[in-house]
Amino acid sequence: MSDAEKTVPESADAAAPESAPERQAPRTLTVRVHRCGPGGANARFDDFRLPVRPEDSVLDVLDRIRVETDPTLVYRHSCHHSSCGTCAMRINGRERLACITRMLALGTDVVTLEPLRALPLLGDLMVDMRPMFAHIGDDWGYVRPVEKASTGVPHGVARYTRLENCIECGACMSACPVSSGTDDMPPPEARRGGHEAPAQAAPGADVADAPQERMFMGPAPLAALNRELARHPEQREALLHIGKGPQGEKHCRRHLACSRACPSGVYPAKDIMDIRMMHGGGKD
Amino acid sequence: MERIAIIGGGGTAAALAHDLILRGFSVAIYERGEFFSGATGRHHGLLHSGARYAVHDPEAARECIEENMILRRLVPQAMEQNEGLFVALDDEDMAYRQRLKDACAATGIPTRDYTPEQARHLEPGLADGVLAAMQVPDATFDAWRLALPFLATARAGGATAHNFTEVIGIDVQGGAVRGLRLRSLAEDAHGARGREWSAPADMVVNAAGAWAGKVAALAGVHVPIQPGPGVLVAIEGRVTNMVINRMRKASEGDIIVPQRRLSVLGTSMWLTDDPDHLDIPPEHVQRMVRLCSEMVPACAGAVIRSAWSAARPLIGNADATRPQEISRTFDCYDHGTRDNVSGLLSIIGGKGMTLRAMAEKTADIICRLTGRDAPCRTRETPLLPARAFYRS
Ligand SMILES: Cc1cc2nc3c(=O)[nH]c(=O)nc-3n(C[C@H](O)[C@H](O)[C@H](O)COP(=O)(O)OP(=O)(O)OC[C@H]3O[C@@H](n4cnc5c(N)ncnc54)[C@H](O)[C@@H]3O)c2cc1C
Ligand code: SF4
Ligand code: FES
Repeated sequence: MSDAEKTVPESADAAAPESAPERQAPRTLTVRVHRCGPGGANARFDDFRLPVRPEDSVLDVLDRIRVETDPTLVYRHSCHHSSCGTCAMRINGRERLACITRMLALGTDVVTLEPLRALPLLGDLMVDMRPMFAHIGDDWGYVRPVEKASTGVPHGVARYTRLENCIECGACMSACPVSSGTDDMPPPEARRGGHEAPAQAAPGADVADAPQERMFMGPAPLAALNRELARHPEQREALLHIGKGPQGEKHCRRHLACSRACPSGVYPAKDIMDIRMMHGGGKD
Repeated sequence: MERIAIIGGGGTAAALAHDLILRGFSVAIYERGEFFSGATGRHHGLLHSGARYAVHDPEAARECIEENMILRRLVPQAMEQNEGLFVALDDEDMAYRQRLKDACAATGIPTRDYTPEQARHLEPGLADGVLAAMQVPDATFDAWRLALPFLATARAGGATAHNFTEVIGIDVQGGAVRGLRLRSLAEDAHGARGREWSAPADMVVNAAGAWAGKVAALAGVHVPIQPGPGVLVAIEGRVTNMVINRMRKASEGDIIVPQRRLSVLGTSMWLTDDPDHLDIPPEHVQRMVRLCSEMVPACAGAVIRSAWSAARPLIGNADATRPQEISRTFDCYDHGTRDNVSGLLSIIGGKGMTLRAMAEKTADIICRLTGRDAPCRTRETPLLPARAFYRS
């Protein structure tokens, strides 16, 4: 195990406090939750006031609201420990995993919960992940060998393996100003390398207005693509064809918001730059 | 084609849908939350070798080792196949060692002994005082990505799966199940929530895990379910490559399951009647860290990333003096013969990793009851990758 494997989340403030030795007194907070129907119909906020303990995650609080107050509150969750990737949402305006974000550590009296951007709304805090997965091959692997073990390996194991760090949560898709259509950077000069400047959605415009085939696939698929390149160098041409294609890396304007938002230490912006620097895929 | 309605959207339900589709049934799943938001998503992620159960629960141990080998083949992309170690730290552990070895041999679980030096060469993070270690074929699995391929494959084969849809009634007429009463929890396009409707079914399977008792009550029948919650703690940093188990009778805080860049410590166990209100007692969190740090001291200083609870769907046993003694095997109840409600089955107990076997047993009974001669094919039928779920 290398030091690089020890996770230090960007947002250590809110993400990972120590457990409270004794059960401390709760504090009463307002949780302002985005509510809506399919496609964002009838969007509004509902306020819930309830006592919150220091050890409560945002997900614990959502569960309590659902069980005790409103069984129709719709949000995704499964593992409760940052492995499945279902619970990403915007918490006080930043993409975070609800299951590892301590409510009180956010330090605000009102905590605002909104769904991810860049993905279609299904209801309340739930988005449709399909557009993200449309650009990640079903058959791309999810396990990789450890580069080299500093220890012995047990009988029958040639090399230790790891599940991929990307938990496919979509936080980077929402944080990216290009994929979420919130880019307010001035239009780019024609970029070095002579690619045409990609069509950008106007700031604040509905991402769905941009022509599908020219929209950015987003950071997560490119991060997955770079992992697959490492696993299958023999498929380099076909993979780079996707990564450098009309929906690929050329849309990236290096905001680096994806790497800042990632709760899993993936740094997709680095993967995007790796792909940009590679030759192949019918380009360069 | 008989219509089978499955209540619950956990791993058991997903595997059952897959099995029933392969045997030619029409299948619908109803889950009141997100799929796998019950125990299935939240467990420890240990692909048990079965050694934990070998001494006191050999039937569960055999189920584990058999399914372990099958799942390694069917869903390798959801696993870190890095093996596991049992470690002995005191005389009591050493006294248990031979019993464990014999029981593993008797249940078909391969083992390999290591000296303390060999063990620490493999896992330098182990406590200095390790007296002996034994390798078993444990592995780590991603709970979501192990269950999702079953659901993806079932859906691609024609099953329908409805999340955020609560079963609020089971329609029984003349001693036979006729269908389900359902409530949609999400808001519809007209701004309405809680819309109710009925779905006809020829058979209904209660696969509601720890909630199976509440669901059975909707049809006026009883299942011996005993919800058994436990606390799990994920710490930052991977303290070992392999799964680490304490070499003693299954107890609390005796398993470390490393996964990606985390280590998941667990678990405690208590009994409850209400699986909806699961507390996460801070003293359990502390105890898990303390007990696991006896095996791997680095657990003690680590930052806690998350602590949470989940409820095991145990089969009630009034004779067990400790909750850990309740068998971890599973059973399928035919309420036609038990309670004169024909067409209703309940499948409870088991482990996250015995989902396929639980499905096989249930689908065998459904075939017998419907007179369909279709053998189980889930052992050898390849599953779609997890991501295919987002295509269907
Ligand atoms: C602390 C702990 C650690 C564990 N560790 C491991 C491990 O390491 N390895 C392992 O293999 N197993 C482990 N298990 C066991 C494993 O989690 C369970 O055996 C397994 O997940 C049960 O799956 P299930 O599908 O039967 O139940 P669940 O996943 O609980 O599914 C039942 C579903 O029914 C739904 N439901 C309830 N009522 C209704 C209704 N009225 N209408 C619609 N839907 C409804 C619920 O929302 C729920 O999603 C552990 C369990 C616990 C508690
Ligand atoms: S790269 Fe990070 S933020 Fe993006 S989907 Fe993967 S885990 Fe989530
Ligand atoms: S619930 Fe799985 S990542 Fe948060």
